[in-house]
Amino acid sequence: MIDRFTQVQSRLEGAPHLLRLGRLFSETVLIEVAGDEYYLTFEAGRIVSVAQGPSRKTPWRFALRTDADALERFWQARPEPGFHDIFGLVKIGRGRIDGDILSLVKNLRFFKEVLGLARAQEEGVA
Amino acid sequence: MSIEPITGRYVTVTVEGTARRIYFEEAGKGRPVLCLHTAGADTRQWRHLMNDAEITASNRLIAFDMPWHGKSLPPEGFETEEYLLTTDAYIETVLAVIDALGLQRPVLAGCSMGGRIALQLAALHPEHFSGFIAIEASDFQPAWYDIDWFHRPDAHGGEMGAALVSANISPHAPEAERWNTLWMFMQSGPGVFRGDLSFYTRDDSLIGRLAGIDTGRTPVHIIVGAYDLTCTPADAARTARAIPGATLAVMDELGHFPMSEHPEGFRPFFVDALARMPRVRAEVA
Repeated sequence: MIDRFTQVQSRLEGAPHLLRLGRLFSETVLIEVAGDEYYLTFEAGRIVSVAQGPSRKTPWRFALRTDADALERFWQARPEPGFHDIFGLVKIGRGRIDGDILSLVKNLRFFKEVLGLARAQEEGVA
Repeated sequence: MSIEPITGRYVTVTVEGTARRIYFEEAGKGRPVLCLHTAGADTRQWRHLMNDAEITASNRLIAFDMPWHGKSLPPEGFETEEYLLTTDAYIETVLAVIDALGLQRPVLAGCSMGGRIALQLAALHPEHFSGFIAIEASDFQPAWYDIDWFHRPDAHGGEMGAALVSANISPHAPEAERWNTLWMFMQSGPGVFRGDLSFYTRDDSLIGRLAGIDTGRTPVHIIVGAYDLTCTPADAARTARAIPGATLAVMDELGHFPMSEHPEGFRPFFVDALARMPRVRAEVA
């Protein structure tokens, strides 16, 4: 799973529009996958660190808690209904969002598109 | 170069005792079909259907921007007013536009909050209409978010609103239309999406009225997209079951803004819905 997040990290470097959208975003986000913790630390829109937990010392701004199967389905080129958005995961009971939700909402487009960078590329699909 | 057949004009109506300058567009001739946009958006959501020559050959599609939306101005004094849409004001606005434009028992097609008010009108004022196409419409949806997020001085409500509603757009939607759909939310005036959501997420008065809708007189057809997280197929099905005689269609590859996010995917469902609506004699007169 950590490979997925380092893939997001490297793809973000190649997405100048996302770096621009996230230029004011400097926070640590916890992604918890079936109890395994992954801390993504952003500085001015860049992911400067992907660290695997557990950690009781790492403060985070908000957290997305889900499971590996749900994330893999989220990362399909054309996800099924409910798996197509982080709020969809919440709606169908496969995800939970905790912490400073307003911080997430203020940076919602940025965060959703960054997380979606691990999405499969489908030939012929715009 | 091609000039589209859609024409736009303005009409001033009175709602809640004050004048409202309303922008409306239309295309086609024949049976009038009045189209209502979703919360936080405007008439542009309907442009693909209004540019569809086969549909407009026998249907006159009319869409208007609600006050505060699109090119319709807010009423005088808005600068000191908190915009909170209500069922009563919404109904009054729709009926005022029908009266001002002289529409004879139009089909009413509304999406999301437009679908909600279509069902309210089916229950309370059916005599003004020939039938109802309620898209992404349900009895009641409480908010799973804080509507105040979308109107605050330290953030851009339009950008946040667009990012939120993007959750309701199908991954099957063409990218260009996904972003055209979101652009309308990004352009929405400060507090407008919040005020629409107040109506949509707080007023549950429709629930008790559904059973009284007479679909023998005015048919009700509900259409819902499988990718709609706000009004899910389960929500729409529950609503259809509560209306005796209502019909339901589920669109597997569409979301909450079908006519806007994926016009090609939505078209057959809209054509089917129109075919279910009776053609009344008044339109011929």
